[in-house]
Amino acid sequence: MTAADKTPAPAADPREAGTQLRPGLWQTINERYPGSMIRKESFVSQASLSKPLAKARLTLISSCGVHCKTDPPLDVCHPFGDFRFRRVPSSSKQRELIIHQLKYPHDDADLDLNVIFPIERLQELHMERRIGSLTPNFFSFIGYNMDPERFERTVAADIADAVVQQEHADCALLAPA
Amino acid sequence: MSVTVARDVTEAVKVPRALFLPWPMGHHFGVPFHRDLQRRVILAALLLLEESAEPGTIRDLPIKWADVRREAKSTLTIQGQRL
Repeated sequence: MTAADKTPAPAADPREAGTQLRPGLWQTINERYPGSMIRKESFVSQASLSKPLAKARLTLISSCGVHCKTDPPLDVCHPFGDFRFRRVPSSSKQRELIIHQLKYPHDDADLDLNVIFPIERLQELHMERRIGSLTPNFFSFIGYNMDPERFERTVAADIADAVVQQEHADCALLAPA
Repeated sequence: MSVTVARDVTEAVKVPRALFLPWPMGHHFGVPFHRDLQRRVILAALLLLEESAEPGTIRDLPIKWADVRREAKSTLTIQGQRL
């Protein structure tokens, strides 16, 4: 056996292997921003879709920080994060929207918003009757925040209330950026 | 249902159901102007919504990022844009 035989094989390139591109992300972020990451002890109960998708009303919720150009952006500079959200009309055109976020690469999403907030694809699927309807508004917020407990109590609870009580959604597509 | 590129984060949060994509942050639905791929992700997520029965189900969409990038170059070349 030669020295080369004893050398461990290099880890497979995740781009070719189809594994998570940034392994250990939870641990990395939690070390960099202690206490910022959520870990739950039990699963959220799974609710079944009560009607066929072709008759269901769907909403889209994303932490990508997109908003209407006519709305003020959320605060991306606050050290603890911005605990508010923005409504994005589901009938919006790409040219009416803009991403205001610093914590993830959105160069490609700036070229085509559907990369992270697939509003046009959902509009198409609705027109094709694959999805019954879309809620009048979709939702967006800034994923960066340093107080997950406060986040759950404010942003998450407020969006959940709006989705159920105001938008009457049957299901939601969640897209964390 | 959720789409995720960070399986370990999703496992920690214990969401009811999620579709895992081995792609970079900010690219949960693929690459610019690749309409078919963007639709494929959404439809896979919707199928998971209809099919999953166990809380914590994480289903893989086995499309390698290297393959996505190769497709993206041809897509953007058609669009006349630089990748």
